[in-house]
Amino acid sequence: MFNEKGQVDAVSKLQTPKRDTELRQVWRHLRRNRMAMAGLIVLVIFLLIAIFAPFITQHDPIQRDFGRALDLPSEEHILGNDWLGRDNFTRILYGSRISLAIGLISVTIGMLLGVPIGALSGYYGGRFDILIQRVIDILIAFPGILLAIVVVAILGVGIENVMIAVGIASVPIYTRLVRGSVLSVKEQGYVAAAKALGIGDARIIIRHIMPNCLGPIIVQSTFQIATAILWAAGLGFLGLGAQPPDPEWGRMLSDGRQYIRTAHHLTTYPGLAILFMVLGFNLLGDGLRDALDPRSRKYK
Amino acid sequence: MESPRAILEVEGLKKYFAIKTGVFSRISGYVKAVDGINLRIFPGETYGLVGESGCGKSTAGMTILKMLQPTGGSVMFKGKDVLAMGKEELRNLRKEMQIIFQDPYSSLNPRMTIGEAIGEALEVHGIAKGKLRRERVESILKECGLDTYHYRRYPHEFSGGQRQRVGIARALVLEPNFIVADEPISALDVSIQSQIINLLENLQEKFGLTFLFISHDLSVVKHIANRVGVMYLGRIVEDAPKKEFYSSPLHPYSQALLSAVPSMNPEVQKKRIILRGDVPSPSNPPSGCPFHTRCHKAVAICPKKVPAFKKVGPDHYASCHLVEEVI
Repeated sequence: MFNEKGQVDAVSKLQTPKRDTELRQVWRHLRRNRMAMAGLIVLVIFLLIAIFAPFITQHDPIQRDFGRALDLPSEEHILGNDWLGRDNFTRILYGSRISLAIGLISVTIGMLLGVPIGALSGYYGGRFDILIQRVIDILIAFPGILLAIVVVAILGVGIENVMIAVGIASVPIYTRLVRGSVLSVKEQGYVAAAKALGIGDARIIIRHIMPNCLGPIIVQSTFQIATAILWAAGLGFLGLGAQPPDPEWGRMLSDGRQYIRTAHHLTTYPGLAILFMVLGFNLLGDGLRDALDPRSRKYK
Repeated sequence: MESPRAILEVEGLKKYFAIKTGVFSRISGYVKAVDGINLRIFPGETYGLVGESGCGKSTAGMTILKMLQPTGGSVMFKGKDVLAMGKEELRNLRKEMQIIFQDPYSSLNPRMTIGEAIGEALEVHGIAKGKLRRERVESILKECGLDTYHYRRYPHEFSGGQRQRVGIARALVLEPNFIVADEPISALDVSIQSQIINLLENLQEKFGLTFLFISHDLSVVKHIANRVGVMYLGRIVEDAPKKEFYSSPLHPYSQALLSAVPSMNPEVQKKRIILRGDVPSPSNPPSGCPFHTRCHKAVAICPKKVPAFKKVGPDHYASCHLVEEVI
């Protein structure tokens, strides 16, 4: 007669004040996590840089000035010049636009493909699920970057194709993640209740199941943006991504490589830019994972 | 057993779950959760289905609503064959047959307001939209002892008893005639249980509802039911009107269950029948009578032959070799 679960739930409900939205709880928890806030600040700085790049620097990212080629950092060119005399600092600022765009767009592509496939696979199960999961197994067997290289090889070199390639390479990750969440959520009583009320499958998936799978998707997306930026930089480094004269960080690294003994600023600073952006997303993702997990949230 | 006015007639209903093993998911056996049950429920009646946990009570309820695909048997609701229904017919049936769940915590979507959760069905069935929908939901909230301002609240703002009221309101909003109440009070505090029972009784009277009340609590069933069915390992072993069941249970299992109900009168010395061992696995039920391994009256024939479900009194049925059939 005495239900332990009901008791425990009732007590935990007392601890959280009334009319407190989940979003606010997550934010309160996140704010107390110093590493996550550091990550968030880094990302906000990068976002502001990407938006206001033309106002931060008066130089042009692709304007050549051969007289000043390979200049070391100076007052006018604070991070020096590259081998064509382009301002390194300006190129890094504009590069954040490319990296953020690649990260966001490719993850959106991966989500748009992976989430529905995973949801249908988990919800319907059976042969359809087995078929989808074996295809995903094959895709997961390739390392992500290799899969992206294969897709670029098929589609051709270029920044749009890199976004598509990195997006496709992240599809299997989303499919697995969403399938797992759907498998657990679809066993909940409210899904059975919705079925008993005669509510259709499409509506059950969209209105009842997906809103309860959002947490893991948000966390994974934060990490996935970081991974996408890294993969895109890798493709750029291999010459498969952004084409000259676009200031893409990975490309800048590989081009600067040959001057590393005389002009290390051409590799150091783009490398640091990649490091900080990826670190920012990873720290934020770590924090979000803790903040979105109600178990770790309650006792702090 | 012939009476045409029954609202629900279940004949030989079976639900087996396949046990799959190995890489190729070979079917290696079946869990016989529901193994040929017969039920007959009349309008306005409450049928109490009791049994130990794992005996298939809830599966029986879900299968009757066709939320689970049955393995065999038939379910007739108001003379129509539920199991033969197509998608559209089944959707219309949802307006007439509903279910109340055991766990008020998992049965409400944490990301939907109460109003949305209850009103969604009205919209999907094209009954009411917008302002009209809100009015309908608010009136059913009031019927279930909640307030209209609860419309915009989320489930986490409610206590277990209130959540169960929301679950009841959701089941009633389509104005069904028949409701499967799947242990609706066993997850609640004892003090709340009586409130919910009273609510169900009031609603039954007001809307003329028929209940299939699934429970493991014999005292609650004694209070609310008109008729009692006892399930053991997927089968109904005894089915009788309430009074007869509580005064003279005929199946040894029913006798053992009733001997375990605490008495209000400490003077009365009841002879407690202790059942030995656990419920056998429904994937490998004992031979003959499924109860013989734990029965205190078992005789030589019990492990050999499955007892028939026979008429043992006027309107009283049981499946036991030791009980005489009457015609």
